[in-house]
Amino acid sequence: MNQNLFSLAWRETVRSAYWGKSIATTIGLGFLALLFTAYFLMLGIFIPKILAESFPNTDPLTKFNSIVLAYFAIDLIIRQLMQKLPTISFKPLLLINIRRPRIAKYLMVRSVFNFFNVLPFFLLVPVTFSLVAGAHSGMATAAWFLSLFILVFSNHFLSIYLKWRFNEAEYGFIILLVALAGLFAINHFGIIDLSGGMGKLLDLILLHPAIFIALTLLPVLLYFLNVRFLLSRMFINMLSAKQKEEKIRDYSWLDRLGENGRFIALELKLIWRNKRPRSLAMMTFLMLFYGLLVYKNQHGQPPPEFIFILGGILLVGMFSISYGQFFPAWHSNYFSMLMCQRLTMKQFLRSFYMMVTVISISCYFLTLPYALMYPKIIYTHLAMLLYNLGVNIPIMFWSGMYSKKRLDLSQSSAMNYQGVSATQWLGALPLMLGPISLFYLFKLVFGTFGAYAALGTLGFIGILFHSLIIDFFSKQYRKQKHQLIKNYKNS
Amino acid sequence: MIQIQNLIKAYNKEIVLNIPELTIEKGEIFGLVGNNGAGKTTMFNIVLDLITASKGQVISKGINVRESEDWKEFTGSFIDETFLIGYLTAEEYYGFIAGLRRMSKTETSEFLATYTDFFNGEILGKKKFIRDFSKGNQKKVGIVAALMGKPEIVVLDEPFANLDPSSQYKLRKLIKDFAAANGTTFLISDHTLENIADVSTRLIILEKGKIVRDVPKTETTLQEVEAFFKPVVEADAF
Repeated sequence: MNQNLFSLAWRETVRSAYWGKSIATTIGLGFLALLFTAYFLMLGIFIPKILAESFPNTDPLTKFNSIVLAYFAIDLIIRQLMQKLPTISFKPLLLINIRRPRIAKYLMVRSVFNFFNVLPFFLLVPVTFSLVAGAHSGMATAAWFLSLFILVFSNHFLSIYLKWRFNEAEYGFIILLVALAGLFAINHFGIIDLSGGMGKLLDLILLHPAIFIALTLLPVLLYFLNVRFLLSRMFINMLSAKQKEEKIRDYSWLDRLGENGRFIALELKLIWRNKRPRSLAMMTFLMLFYGLLVYKNQHGQPPPEFIFILGGILLVGMFSISYGQFFPAWHSNYFSMLMCQRLTMKQFLRSFYMMVTVISISCYFLTLPYALMYPKIIYTHLAMLLYNLGVNIPIMFWSGMYSKKRLDLSQSSAMNYQGVSATQWLGALPLMLGPISLFYLFKLVFGTFGAYAALGTLGFIGILFHSLIIDFFSKQYRKQKHQLIKNYKNS
Repeated sequence: MIQIQNLIKAYNKEIVLNIPELTIEKGEIFGLVGNNGAGKTTMFNIVLDLITASKGQVISKGINVRESEDWKEFTGSFIDETFLIGYLTAEEYYGFIAGLRRMSKTETSEFLATYTDFFNGEILGKKKFIRDFSKGNQKKVGIVAALMGKPEIVVLDEPFANLDPSSQYKLRKLIKDFAAANGTTFLISDHTLENIADVSTRLIILEKGKIVRDVPKTETTLQEVEAFFKPVVEADAF
């Protein structure tokens, strides 16, 4: 029976639309996976050295043990964002002669096979050999390693459990963040030494290896918590939409903007009422704070110029790039309806342009406080704002003509590769690298300030001719219409 | 009203639709029946210029639908639930379509008021997005939206499917009344022979992409069509 279930899962994986994603996405993801594996391996190899140099007075292993908890806290957050829930479509299974507990247990077992559970071992294995094995007995080393092994999987089950829960209540994630921040504060200000406690426990295991057996209770407990939760929810109404009254916001004030207003209202509803674009909008907001990170002084030196270009694009243009990349696939679910209506492509493109312009300009003003760090941000961001509106948006209009896949609006956008195709991967390059390389080119001729002015001018020209550009693309989109309808239907 | 000339649609050399000649007159309620894969939806999609024909053309009120978009002015349509915007409420959806069809707010609410009976109190005034509606109610939303702005041609693909029995009867009357009041040409397909035979003034049976029957509606149409689709004669059933 289990074999049957696994062969089902295998087929589901192999034949799922997930793999139907383009080769480019697979390569991109594979590259990311390799990159992280390499990072962890390097970290695992060099961490004894790093710890010994940074904390010369403490035993590196004790130090390592004492930061394990912090690692798991971060791991938990990252898993929440990126890890996929182990869902097989259990709806067809419910009517078949399989007992519910078996389905639930099967789901749990299957969830274990996950990249996030493999990754830490690239760090742990070298550390075990370099830090632990030399100084402690084989027994102690094994117990220590197994303890961490157990903790990794406990974190895994905890993460899944929370994720099921957060699926029902979206604000749960915020609560988790606040809780973790609270624990961090308690730890940081020395009220209770949580991470030290965990460190002491691991130190103790090295002395008395038998203690680790007590730890095994943790994943078992969490496992059954998950199974119990699943059993209580394994009914089809868990799959269907929740029947609750929606809070309907009124957007009729936008009607005053005429035809374009109606479309902008539609776009706003699209963003606000669907999980994927909504999480994208959230990301845009978080991105505004990204400047604190990138614009940081590095050893008293201001960052290199390309950081200012990249910062300008990401801070001011995050929304237009991440949203525009999928234009017009946001409307893919009802694209054929739009194509049967008395609406011109021009309206369609123009309302998008207007909305992105308004949001980009607001982002410009919201990020102006960074000028307190470097006054030049006033004009670097302005140049990038103009460039974004004048050059990048036409580029996105162009790549949108070859939009290949329907977008599923109901999933969060973090690590979501549904609807991503080569267009997005290739499209992102000129949007980001284009202005950087142009900048260095212009810099040769006009100097630094002149280069910013040149980028801004390029954008300004684009903005000046925006109605011509929109006219041009609306003709192109009309030609592409049948192709787009076909692409969206077949994906 | 609509002329179809030498129309052929083929996928990889497999012909799925082949209509050498077909003229649909103004005011006709044109019923299309056929088994799955007969080409009904393909034909409607070509009439609406959602897919391109391999050969031939569709002339709608003198306009070649491939060449100009002006046919949209007088054509309403509902093919399937992908014609709905799932994240809007029914009112918002109607508001959006009304805007495109240049109907004022009062016109829209007057228009919607005439369908109160058809809606059966389940569509309007609900704090619910269309994506959370049942299949049948989604269909109702789409059908009524296709009638907005007094179109001269209305294309409905399987409008009776998923509707409850009383709504099916209401829809029959609704279509007949609308056509009588506005002289609208309807293109309708369905699998329920009774519904389609009742509502249409002309019936066409499509099989494997070809028109195999083309009859005006008479008393015996239903029996005729039923006989066509019945696999075996049930002569000695008793």
